[in-house]
Amino acid sequence: MPSEQSMAALVGHRFPGGTYRIEHWENVLFSEATGIAAPPDGIAHPAHLFHVAINGVGTSITELFELAESQGTSVSIDYYDWQLHQPLHEDLTYVLTGGITDFERSAREGSPTRDSFTYRIQIADPTGDRVADVAFRWHHWRLTDEVNR
Amino acid sequence: MNVEVGEAIPPFRIEQVRPEPMRTVAAIFRDPTPIHWDRESTRALGFDGRLLNQTPVNVGYVLNMLMTWAGPASVRRIKAEFPQPVLDGDSVTARGRVVAVADNDGETVAECDVWLERDDSVHHLVGRAWVAVHHDQP
Repeated sequence: MPSEQSMAALVGHRFPGGTYRIEHWENVLFSEATGIAAPPDGIAHPAHLFHVAINGVGTSITELFELAESQGTSVSIDYYDWQLHQPLHEDLTYVLTGGITDFERSAREGSPTRDSFTYRIQIADPTGDRVADVAFRWHHWRLTDEVNR
Repeated sequence: MNVEVGEAIPPFRIEQVRPEPMRTVAAIFRDPTPIHWDRESTRALGFDGRLLNQTPVNVGYVLNMLMTWAGPASVRRIKAEFPQPVLDGDSVTARGRVVAVADNDGETVAECDVWLERDDSVHHLVGRAWVAVHHDQP
């Protein structure tokens, strides 16, 4: 597994930043996947916040796993904390910034080493007004205790 | 809308979690993780070949409950943890209860305990949500 020092060095990593536009078709299909019709009046389902944040800030689930050197790990989610300052809407181009803000390695007797990363991403509308703050924390359970470097 | 502490939020139920929406969501998310579409991968992980629902969709069930109750633009914040995965074939119900009501920046916000449970009371999601509610005019 990677050294604690190399993983801790990821704190402060900034994603490239970028934009995301929720298309109508995307809102319809995603809302239906959660079991309801898309909300009225162009409002986008708030559960979009997960993938809008990750993909819009210029990263991906794949890259987040790669940064954590997650090969040989089991990944679980600790928590989501999503704050909406205004509803999401279809067909608006949102501007996203964010990065990795916290890391913790923990180990207990009889359990794999656990590396936990916190990610925070801010979403603004085209005028710069805050729309949402997205935080989430993932655990990477290292299935081998051998430190690579 | 008058809301009181202790009030139960009308539940939102999914009779059977199906694999097809997981595939749709995996594509929308650009998520290559096979646990949402490849039964062999979940068999290897000890889930007997049942697919794992995406956690944002589990949050979505809770959000559906809140939006149905208070309106599509009402949710201000949600914090959630995930003690157990939801698997295809599960029947799950989102439930909630108001624990506090307060004025916040000119609007009335209900703070709610929320959870997603299986019929045998196993909890898949536990969390807290803040929802804007609007009291009736006197």
